[in-house]
Amino acid sequence: MSEKTIAQVNEDLLRPVLRTTRRFWIAVLLLGSVVAAGIGAFGYQVWNGIGVWGINRPVFWAFDITNFVFWIGISHAGTLISAILRIADAGWRRPVTRCAEVITLFALMIGGIFPIIHLGRPWLFFWMIPYPSERQIWPQFRSPLAWDFFAIGTYLTGSFIFLAYPMIPDFALVRDKVTGWRKKLYTVLALGWRGTPRQWHRLEKAMHIMAIVIIPVAVSVHTIVSWDFAMAPVPMWHSTIFGPYFVAGAIFSGIAGLIIAMAFLRKVLSLEDYLLPVHFDNLGKLLLTMCLVWVYFIFSERLTVWYGNESAEMAVFWTTQRGPFAPLFWTMVFCNFIIPFPLLAIKRFRTTITGVVIASWTVVIGMWLERYLIIVPSLSHKYLPYTYGSYRPTWVEVTILVASNAAMGLLYILFSKFVPIVSIWELKVGSHKPPVVHHRLSVVRDSSPTGASAIDDGLLTTDQ
Amino acid sequence: MERRDFLKAAALTGATAALDNCGNPEHQLIRFIPEEDLVPGVAEYKPSICTMCPAGCGLMVRVMEGDAEVIRHGEPGLIKMGLAKKLEGNPNHPISQGKLCGRGQAGLQVTYHPDRLRHPLKRSGPRGSGQYQEVSWDEAIKELVSRLSALRSANQPGSLAFLTQTVRGQRRELMEKFLKSFGAPPAVTTELFDDAVLRRANEVSFGRPQLPTFDLARANYVIAFGADFLGTWNSPVAQSVAYGEMRQGRAGVRGKFVMVEARVSQTGASADEWIPGRPGTEGILALGLAHVMIEQKLRRAGDAGHAGSLIEGWSKGLPDYAPPAVEASTGVPAAKIIRLAREMAAHPPSLAMVGGAPLAHSNGMFTALAVNGLNALLGNVGNPGGIFFQPQPPSGKAASGPPTSPKGSFSRVGELIQQAQNGNAPKGLLLYGANPVFTSPSSLGVREALEKIPYIASLGSFIDETSILADLILPDHSPLESWLDDAPESGAIGPVASLSAPAMRPLHNTRAMPDVLLEVAHQLGGEVAAALPWKSYDELLRVTFESYNKPQGKNQAAKPGDFWKTVQERGGVWSSSETASGALAGASHAPAAMLGPEFDGAEKDFPFHFLPYASQMLLDGSLAHLPWMQETPDPISTAMWSTWVEINPKAADGLGIVQGDLVEIASRHGKVQASALISPGIAPDFIAMPVGQGHEYFTRYASGRGANPVAILAPVAVPETGSLAWAATRVKISKVGKGKLVLFAGGIREHPQEGELR
Amino acid sequence: MARKWGMVVDLDRCTGCEACVVACRAENNVPTVGEDQAGRGRAMHWIRVERYWEGEFPEARLKFRPVLCQQCDAAPCEPTCPTYASHHTSEGLNAQIYNRCIGTRYCANACPYSVRFFNFYNPVWDKPFHLQLNPDVSVREVGVMEKCTFCVQRIQAAEIQAEAEQRDLKDGEFNPACVQTCPPKAMVFGDLNDPGSEVARLTRSNRATQLLGELGTRPSVTYFEAESWEEGEKDQG
Repeated sequence: MSEKTIAQVNEDLLRPVLRTTRRFWIAVLLLGSVVAAGIGAFGYQVWNGIGVWGINRPVFWAFDITNFVFWIGISHAGTLISAILRIADAGWRRPVTRCAEVITLFALMIGGIFPIIHLGRPWLFFWMIPYPSERQIWPQFRSPLAWDFFAIGTYLTGSFIFLAYPMIPDFALVRDKVTGWRKKLYTVLALGWRGTPRQWHRLEKAMHIMAIVIIPVAVSVHTIVSWDFAMAPVPMWHSTIFGPYFVAGAIFSGIAGLIIAMAFLRKVLSLEDYLLPVHFDNLGKLLLTMCLVWVYFIFSERLTVWYGNESAEMAVFWTTQRGPFAPLFWTMVFCNFIIPFPLLAIKRFRTTITGVVIASWTVVIGMWLERYLIIVPSLSHKYLPYTYGSYRPTWVEVTILVASNAAMGLLYILFSKFVPIVSIWELKVGSHKPPVVHHRLSVVRDSSPTGASAIDDGLLTTDQ
Repeated sequence: MERRDFLKAAALTGATAALDNCGNPEHQLIRFIPEEDLVPGVAEYKPSICTMCPAGCGLMVRVMEGDAEVIRHGEPGLIKMGLAKKLEGNPNHPISQGKLCGRGQAGLQVTYHPDRLRHPLKRSGPRGSGQYQEVSWDEAIKELVSRLSALRSANQPGSLAFLTQTVRGQRRELMEKFLKSFGAPPAVTTELFDDAVLRRANEVSFGRPQLPTFDLARANYVIAFGADFLGTWNSPVAQSVAYGEMRQGRAGVRGKFVMVEARVSQTGASADEWIPGRPGTEGILALGLAHVMIEQKLRRAGDAGHAGSLIEGWSKGLPDYAPPAVEASTGVPAAKIIRLAREMAAHPPSLAMVGGAPLAHSNGMFTALAVNGLNALLGNVGNPGGIFFQPQPPSGKAASGPPTSPKGSFSRVGELIQQAQNGNAPKGLLLYGANPVFTSPSSLGVREALEKIPYIASLGSFIDETSILADLILPDHSPLESWLDDAPESGAIGPVASLSAPAMRPLHNTRAMPDVLLEVAHQLGGEVAAALPWKSYDELLRVTFESYNKPQGKNQAAKPGDFWKTVQERGGVWSSSETASGALAGASHAPAAMLGPEFDGAEKDFPFHFLPYASQMLLDGSLAHLPWMQETPDPISTAMWSTWVEINPKAADGLGIVQGDLVEIASRHGKVQASALISPGIAPDFIAMPVGQGHEYFTRYASGRGANPVAILAPVAVPETGSLAWAATRVKISKVGKGKLVLFAGGIREHPQEGELR
Repeated sequence: MARKWGMVVDLDRCTGCEACVVACRAENNVPTVGEDQAGRGRAMHWIRVERYWEGEFPEARLKFRPVLCQQCDAAPCEPTCPTYASHHTSEGLNAQIYNRCIGTRYCANACPYSVRFFNFYNPVWDKPFHLQLNPDVSVREVGVMEKCTFCVQRIQAAEIQAEAEQRDLKDGEFNPACVQTCPPKAMVFGDLNDPGSEVARLTRSNRATQLLGELGTRPSVTYFEAESWEEGEKDQG
């Protein structure tokens, strides 16, 4: 593969932003109509009552909270991975970070919607927010759902900042390339970026701080999500393993989500020269690690329950291992381990993008099932067998689930329309090849304030 | 905004809203002047009488002010009125003792039922179409009077028939007086689960044609043969109160309760020992117990007196009923029979009760006499911890003479059918809450026979399978809107005459049945008017209840007005005296020889015994129109809103039936379909189904719901009494598809094993 | 000392008749949901009579257990509610403020007894059934959790009455609807902090057990398990 010049890099990476294809419109229309269907389904639910869902007594949560945990899990791909890789200074991360961080932002937004739409009276969602009410009523700060609000809020804010900072130089780049209303838009978005050494210095410093801060936030978010379950005395929920188990599961599904997104971008935006097999190989290794961690956790969880032989927990245990939930359970094991493990462990498969992508798809499906299997079997088999129940989703819940996926796609496509999906300046700064900019900029990394200013192509020359 | 501005704006919007309302027909109702004084938000309690089952519990009705849409002088409008909000047991009443069962609690829904008939109706479409037009009361009564006059002038007053639900006390007296003076035969009570067999047996054994009162509270040992005494049979509330005392009401003593039945009923679930026996052999088992007691000299045969002499071989110590022989016919192990007999003898006072399925066999009389003999042997009749016959308050002239046990409703309805089939149908029929089309086997052809009657008038509050045939409907007040009285047959030891004034004013354009009869009698004139001289029903009640005002012991009789007032405040008059039972003298009767049951259908073709049973919530189906009853889970199956078929797991396995399958139950006389419920509490050769659902027409809540097992019963009567032998049908069962069970419960075991987790 | 309401349920007296279930529905405006919704597991019974089978025919036995809100001292439902709709009153009740409930249903998941019921739709009373509604109890709208209150409206009414008459509440002066109607008198209600009350006396009995007490919920409802006759014999001898 030939090495790319900066002009080519700009051309390649700005193409999606600057040129709008018919394919884009078709995709937006398609995904948009699915999202509209989901909004319609939600409207139908609000109008008629949440009874249009399949939830019942005792299965008060099902698809709603499954989707919530699933999307919060997916969100762990981006920011967390990106931050770890930034701190570890893994050079190969550069083309990956932005599309990963975007996943975090959008997955959080979508995931965060579920606790609102799952309410019996969603129009009163703001009562979960600690605002100074004239009646001096505050939320119940002992409730894990209130913790969720803070955790997700913090993570969303942090992820947004983490994503937005490094976009500023790229916005400036776009600003300098476009005219008309776009010029105005990107001028605003670029926040007066001129590429001065001071600006570069501050950006680097901010990113460093954010990278460190966001890691504990990310870990805490999914831990707190797990506490929604672990704090309630429900058989097989009330477990100390849930915090790390959920974090591991989240990273697991997050990486899988990232790989799928990257493969998709690579194909659709013709980024074959930027998102390379090595990226998939590296992420595949990470996925393999998480796969093993996940298996370790579920084994520990199941073993201790089985060995403990506590009757209420055993009811849930057997219903998932051999009872009516067994088909789903073993599908999950297949999707999360039996299929991805060989694909990722054997180098011949892992080094093909297809192999890694297949593994990622099964993991995403398997992890959705995992959340479903955490929620529904436990709720349908609580302590008193008289109250055992069952659950079957309705079209409303399925529509909302499908729409949430479509929303992810739609947001992603729209994002890649407005923002270069690969961080151009970081790529240019990057030391790996290709793109081949690095030989000109190899000094930059070590002395970024001044070095960065050496980056060519208008970042400094543009006159505002 | 200034405060004044705000007020202006508020006034403006308020005015606009008011104007808007003018266009809304819902708000165009006239507001009537309240008819009574009530303090908003303050509850009053008024006594009343529960009419949901024949037990006759006394009620206290919680009445509070509310806004109701009512009809006054034929005009709909809004009124502030006292509305019944809750029913409680009347704490002073000797039957209910402040308690009330679930069915009684749901009595409120009768009054407020959306499908209750609100006006007199005259048929406008073909018969059975349910098409009626509203008519005025004057018109309706005039029409009925003219029909009845026509009968009388055609010299056929005897061809007027009257089918009624269970009615007692002065209401019954009034009906009978009306019919008698008109020249018509007495009213026929139609009941599916009538107790004619036990009444007849008690008349023969003890001279009292009535259901007994069980003094469970002081009993130490109780054996029940099929009697669902904690659920639906006899006087369930009084019996449940006493049962609680038997179990935990006495320090250091806890009575034992043994249940003999083929399917665990709600009552059987509470038993210390549950014994499944072969159907129809309960009498043999009872005599087996008597045999052991006599043989082991725990009791003397002579103790049983007359009741014992009614059993063949009693004086010789019942030689045919030795435990091995009894084991052979009942299936209950001989050792168990001996142990039970010894326990019963060792723990006096002990008592036996029989009711339900054991008496609904061809040998029902034998079984009832056998259990009576056992009770007599135990020496408990009229003694503490035993059985009592509640003295009845003196009644009017119509039923003068010694009371005799009425014949079973099945045979009396059957006679009516027979007449119709012979082209001799009554010329006129009055219906009062009776629904024989639903409560009779379909092979009897009740509906077809009723269709041959040229004129039918219903005095009931709802349209059901029977009253849909009516040409004229004169809807009754709801019980809470009516003057009520009752003379409970059992449940207390002393005599009880309950009385209540209306707890609330009527909501609709209805009239109380007794007042309609009085008005009709008045307009008919002649003998009928002379026999019924009262202007209104409460006048009749007052006359009757004033007659109970007698000096008691040292106490003077109260002043008439005071007495009438006190009776209304208390909810009736009663005495707690235990000795009022009086001497018991049985009637002569041929001694009963050992008799096994006969079944309809060959075992080869119909391998299962069929057990329809009174549903805990819907009884015989007469309460199926109440959503509260429909949605209360059955205590055993936890099913709501539906019919199910109980089958033993082994039997189901053999037929490839799993829970929730739609199955067809077929007898020689028809088939019904319902969903299968696998139950460990039923004998493998039994199929059980609750009665109550399967209504074709019975309000929006019951119509077209579930299946009616009565439809497929063999139309066989219990000899001597004419009750329907509803437990004597054999059936077969087959799977026809996938059904649907609406169950409240998930699991059925408290500690489910791995394989049982669904 | 503040009152603490409690209940004793004697399973040896309970006959499973479900009078309590209907009485509760009548007192507390608990709606019926119809066959379709009931089939989806949405029937509402603030008190229910659980039944459990033991053994197989002919040794099959059945036991009943009325289960209502246990008004736990350490109620899992309370801290889980993010809006304070579920909270603890000074008299030991787990109160539910319907107006404040946003319908997260978390409380119902956390409740080990599954005694919380959710309004999946707006309740419907076909006219004129609405005239029966108890004016002392608010009707709950769609999306709101509801549950047994120990008939708090009766508690309040009795307390206000007693205060107006400047006297103490008498033990047994009033009862929740289920207790009042129970034919075999299987339920006893009263103030656990009054050592002389019937309920306090019974709670000290050696028959007293708690439902799922091992979960540490500290329920205010005590159960007396059913006794067997043989044991009763020994007691007598």
